[in-house]
Amino acid sequence: MSSQPHPLIDAERLSYGAISEAVADPIQRTGFGRAWVIALLCTLPFVVLTLGAIGAVLTVGIGLSGVNTTVVWGFSIANYVWWIGIGNAGTLISSMLLLTRQRWRASINRFAEAMTLFAAAIAGLFPIIHLGRPLYAYWLAPYPNTMDLWPQWRSALVWDFWAILSYLLFSALFWYTGLLPDLATMRDRARTRAGRVIYGALALGWRNSARHWRAYETFHLTMAALAVPLVCSVHSIVGLDFAASLMPGWQESIFPPYFVVGAMFSGFAMVVVLAIVIRWGLNLQAMITPAHFDAMAKVMLFASIVMAFSYATEWFTAWYGGEHADRTVVGYFFTGAYAPLYGLLLFCNCLAPQALWWRRVRRNLWWLAGISVLINVGMWLERILIVWNTLSHGHAITLWRTYHTSLYDLAILVGPLGLFAFLFLVLARLLPIVSMHEVRQLARDEGAAQP
Amino acid sequence: MPPLTGLPRREALQLLGAGIALAAGGCSRPDEEILPYVRQPEQLLPGVPARYATALPLSGFARGVHTIAVDGRPIKIEGNPLHPGSRGATDVFLEAAILDLYDPDRSRAPSERVAGIASWEAFGKAYARPLSEARARRGAGFRLLTGRITSPTLLRQIVGLREAMPEAAWHVHEPLDEANARAGAALAFGRPVRALPRLDRAEIVVCLEADPLGPGPDQIRLSSALMERRRDPARFGRLYVAEGLPTLTGIKADERRALAPPAVAALLVHLANGFGAGLPEPGLGDDERRFAENILADLRRHPGRAVVLVGEALEPAFHALAHWLNARLAAPIGWIAPPDALPDHPPGDLAGLCKDIAAAKVSCLAILGTNPVQTAPAGLGFPELLRRVPFSVQVGTHADETAGAAHWHLPLAHDLESWSDLRATDGTASLVQPLLRPLYGGRSVHEILNLLTGAEARRGYDIVRETWQGSWERHRRPDDREFEGWWRRCLHDGTIPGSAAAPAPVPAPALPVLPPAPAPPARAPGDLTLLLTPDPALWDGRSANNAWLQECPHPVTKQVWGNALLLSHREAARRGVEDGQGVSLTVRGVSVVAPVAVVSGVADGVAGLSLGHGRARAGQIGNGIGVDGYRLIGSGTGRLVRDVSLTPLDERHAILRTQNYTQIEGEAEKLFPRINLAALASSAPKGNGSGNGSDQPTLLAPWTGDADGHAWGMVIDTMACIGCNACVIACQSENNVPVVGPEEIARGRMMHWLRVDIYDSGKSEPGKPERIEAGFQPVPCMHCEHAPCEPVCPVAASVHDGEGLNLQVYNRCVGTRFCEANCPYKVRRFNFFGYADGQEYANLGAAPVRAQRNPNVTVRARGVMEKCTYCVQRIATERQAAERDGRPMGEVATACQSACPTKAIRFGDLAAKDSSVAAQRSDPRHYALMEELNTRPRTTYLTDLRNPAREDRT
Repeated sequence: MSSQPHPLIDAERLSYGAISEAVADPIQRTGFGRAWVIALLCTLPFVVLTLGAIGAVLTVGIGLSGVNTTVVWGFSIANYVWWIGIGNAGTLISSMLLLTRQRWRASINRFAEAMTLFAAAIAGLFPIIHLGRPLYAYWLAPYPNTMDLWPQWRSALVWDFWAILSYLLFSALFWYTGLLPDLATMRDRARTRAGRVIYGALALGWRNSARHWRAYETFHLTMAALAVPLVCSVHSIVGLDFAASLMPGWQESIFPPYFVVGAMFSGFAMVVVLAIVIRWGLNLQAMITPAHFDAMAKVMLFASIVMAFSYATEWFTAWYGGEHADRTVVGYFFTGAYAPLYGLLLFCNCLAPQALWWRRVRRNLWWLAGISVLINVGMWLERILIVWNTLSHGHAITLWRTYHTSLYDLAILVGPLGLFAFLFLVLARLLPIVSMHEVRQLARDEGAAQP
Repeated sequence: MPPLTGLPRREALQLLGAGIALAAGGCSRPDEEILPYVRQPEQLLPGVPARYATALPLSGFARGVHTIAVDGRPIKIEGNPLHPGSRGATDVFLEAAILDLYDPDRSRAPSERVAGIASWEAFGKAYARPLSEARARRGAGFRLLTGRITSPTLLRQIVGLREAMPEAAWHVHEPLDEANARAGAALAFGRPVRALPRLDRAEIVVCLEADPLGPGPDQIRLSSALMERRRDPARFGRLYVAEGLPTLTGIKADERRALAPPAVAALLVHLANGFGAGLPEPGLGDDERRFAENILADLRRHPGRAVVLVGEALEPAFHALAHWLNARLAAPIGWIAPPDALPDHPPGDLAGLCKDIAAAKVSCLAILGTNPVQTAPAGLGFPELLRRVPFSVQVGTHADETAGAAHWHLPLAHDLESWSDLRATDGTASLVQPLLRPLYGGRSVHEILNLLTGAEARRGYDIVRETWQGSWERHRRPDDREFEGWWRRCLHDGTIPGSAAAPAPVPAPALPVLPPAPAPPARAPGDLTLLLTPDPALWDGRSANNAWLQECPHPVTKQVWGNALLLSHREAARRGVEDGQGVSLTVRGVSVVAPVAVVSGVADGVAGLSLGHGRARAGQIGNGIGVDGYRLIGSGTGRLVRDVSLTPLDERHAILRTQNYTQIEGEAEKLFPRINLAALASSAPKGNGSGNGSDQPTLLAPWTGDADGHAWGMVIDTMACIGCNACVIACQSENNVPVVGPEEIARGRMMHWLRVDIYDSGKSEPGKPERIEAGFQPVPCMHCEHAPCEPVCPVAASVHDGEGLNLQVYNRCVGTRFCEANCPYKVRRFNFFGYADGQEYANLGAAPVRAQRNPNVTVRARGVMEKCTYCVQRIATERQAAERDGRPMGEVATACQSACPTKAIRFGDLAAKDSSVAAQRSDPRHYALMEELNTRPRTTYLTDLRNPAREDRT
């Protein structure tokens, strides 16, 4: 590694043309390789499973889920929080790293942003299918109606509605803006008329002029600056869904920051997994280098420590606060029906990432993939256990009971993962998965581009 | 004039077609002629509920009720305050009877065993020969088998039958008969008398296997009397209970010991010896002796104010001994001639009938309203014997097990569909009037008995009137001049004046000869004594097809949809079985597999199983639910089965429970405080007294929304609550609360708006018998002033009204369930499926069942949250009436309150200073549940109050 001249461009020389060729040309070809087709076929059953599960819950009722009179929330809520968390990292990488001039983000930000978009879109499904009457989900929106009824502004769920909505709109816009110069490249390299028309229309007349670049750069930076508070707000508000209650184990002021860090944690882990897969699938070794993984691993390590600290704070406050109900719930974490899962959570989120202290682990993709998957599992467990532990063991002792996972629950857990992969495969076929104009700039800055 | 040319063929057809289409689709009046009421039926105002007084039986004894009907549909049953058997309250059986009325499984036509559905005419033809033969033989070979009969008309008809056919015989089979009590009274007094303990006057009540507060025909009267007396601290008295299984009486006891029946009998002997019986002194353990000495001391100190009650698990001789002891105590017990007997015609029993069938003396058997194939002791082998009878006919509301084994089955009308009369346990007679014509084409018991005996076919109305035309003058009020006016007034009031049985003079009871005590060590160490009890919800099994009752939690185990073998913790540990494990019970070669439910307060060596479950032909709701205990009864051993061997099986059964039996430890005792009478008298408030926590600091603005109007509130006295579940079923009936079914219960879902929690603070110490020191706490919605459910609802479906009610707007609810997640009391209920709206359990979606629903209460759709509304429809009805009449609002009674036999639930306006709820809020026992959460609940409680014997006295 030390012999390598440019840590973020893994090639001796990488011309602008070569970058465009590597990224844009595979998309323009008629065939995309057997691997892609097989992968797409593999994801199809999951798409069907997701759609089938949604169809079933709409026709038969939310009773299909394992929720019961005591534990009224379940997989839908945990999945929602988890997917929103995944969705956080993309914007975080694009905006915060852009603002802090972390140049290494160039080659990963495109698909990280796409990940955000898809994950937020999938996340947005869960609150709707979680409802008893999904057809009335729009009642959370303040629209003029003859009954003169408005949403109930004190409810964290209304705040959440706005948080997801604005986040989803923003990520779509941000992602599309970043795509403009590349869409122009695609238009210019298109081999068919249809390609030229479609990419051309989407490129909004981008002509690579200095004026365009100036406007683009200003706009993109402004958006990035706007994104930072949004990234924090979306998951803080998700945290408030729980914290703005009076249930033991939920009513904690640490929840908003702890949810934001948790989101960053699982989001980065997901980016790492995706980067490894995309790098291998699209032969982008030159543009996504071990240095990228190293940087992301450091972020994960940091987040893991913050998470461990948050858990410890939760236990300490429950004990120090002296509230009987809080102590009971924390005791239930360790001794209750879900204690093995809680142990697994602590292992995945706090213990396993400690391996990232070692540079060798940070740069070994197998290790990194394994740890990232563990983190994602651990973070999902954290979300479901936040729901389960508190609701199973609340104030009303006579109604303490546990959750009974149903087949529907498993379907909406596994299905969307396949749907996510499916969306990514389609994206990879249609749009450049790596930001060409930013990698070109990176190559120039690194001195790898030939003048 | 247009030319008179014929229409072309096509045009004619077109016009014809258009005419038909217009006629068919133009307007959609029904084909039949419809007219408004020209003369509106008296008292029938569309949409306005009408109340009718009538009576419903349990095991033959009447409890007077008011049935509420809307537009001719009975929808709710409430107690009749004028009736001594209900005193304005109800129990689970009365509340659930309304659902039985609409049961789609009720039989709709006579049927023949082989040919299937038939007609009344076909039965008449088939029956003509057996009847004429029996009549020719003066009734020889003709047998009538019934349940307990208290109906004066039916008894009169039986007398008529005896006159027409002197050789015919009448047998009575009542599954939960009081055979031992009857025999004990006969033993003590030499003739049949019935005891009516006056618990309102007895301050010291000693229950030995007796369960006066438990389910039964007299539950309302006895529990109401006991708790009414206990409201006065000066007459609180003390309730001692020694029993094998935790009953409602045992749970409410001040001092209780879990003892096996022989030890309970020994205790009674010891008590009798304390009053000079001079019987051989039985061996008592230290603890039992101390317990007995405490009782003796109290009995001696309360002459004329103490009573000893003995239950069916003890043999007749011990009942007689208790009578002897009560005579020494001058116990407040009324004695009457049994209201269920004909003085000159003692009926035969089922064993006698079986003997006669075996001897081929029975040629024609009519079974009226009882189900012996299911409920006869298995040792009698009744089902096989029934097959030997040349002609058998069963009459019942359902085509049950006996119907399946008899040649013919005739549908019986429900008690709300037929004219009849009944007597209460104290002999008070009531007229039973129909509220509607038989839904499914049945006939009343009187009409059918006339048919079966070949008497003149007459309407039930005429038969019942004839009875009273003959005897009304004995019951006339001073201002009654003619029968018609008397009759109308009796129908209106629901009771017949002066019909309560006159006190029967009884001689001094004789000291009985006791049976030899069973040698305790002789039994094999693995053997158990099995106590078969009435089921708190299904009684003897007749309610098995009632979904409300199947889903009514057992007061102690909280089990629904089934029964289980109750074992103590120690017994279960010794035998290596755990809760939910399947075990095989074997008695005399008969085996039954049952799941085990481990509970506190069961005596060692004793197991309990409730009867009435495991029926094969109950109907779609009750078929195959639970375990049939009748199979374990031998021919004559009654409800106590000795020498049962128990084999643990390697299988798990899900015991479906709606809530947890909660052992109070640490801070949990704040949820259910329990104080002693002595402590109450001595010092300052034990509850938080001050209200509902509104003196605590808060960041929120104080609730003032109802400052200028009504402020509804509820206070529940946990001292008076006996855990009978009447409120639970009353709420279900009033508020269209759906049944979810066993599968949904297994998934942890339920819909009851009101649950009755049980908290047990008994500490089990090693080496000592297991203690149960439990109490009941009904939990409806708290209607918090700072309701946690309200700010979390994103669409404002959970809101407060101007009178302090926390309302749920079903139309607005989208089903986020955040309100239930945030409810510390967990009183909200969610329609995970359309339990009442298209996805009903079993046949509960059938059209007849829907007719039961209260039109004033919305039927909730799928995906909607619901909860207790404080019966807001009743408040609204009263408000409308008050506004119409221009008067202030009067009392409003919620459904749970009106059902409660002990008046433990009080509801009213806290803003009215003279209301009983406002007064109870300043009671020293007053407390709010989870007050520390600052929710300011409007439903508050009075602490449980007990009067344990002081240990230092011995």
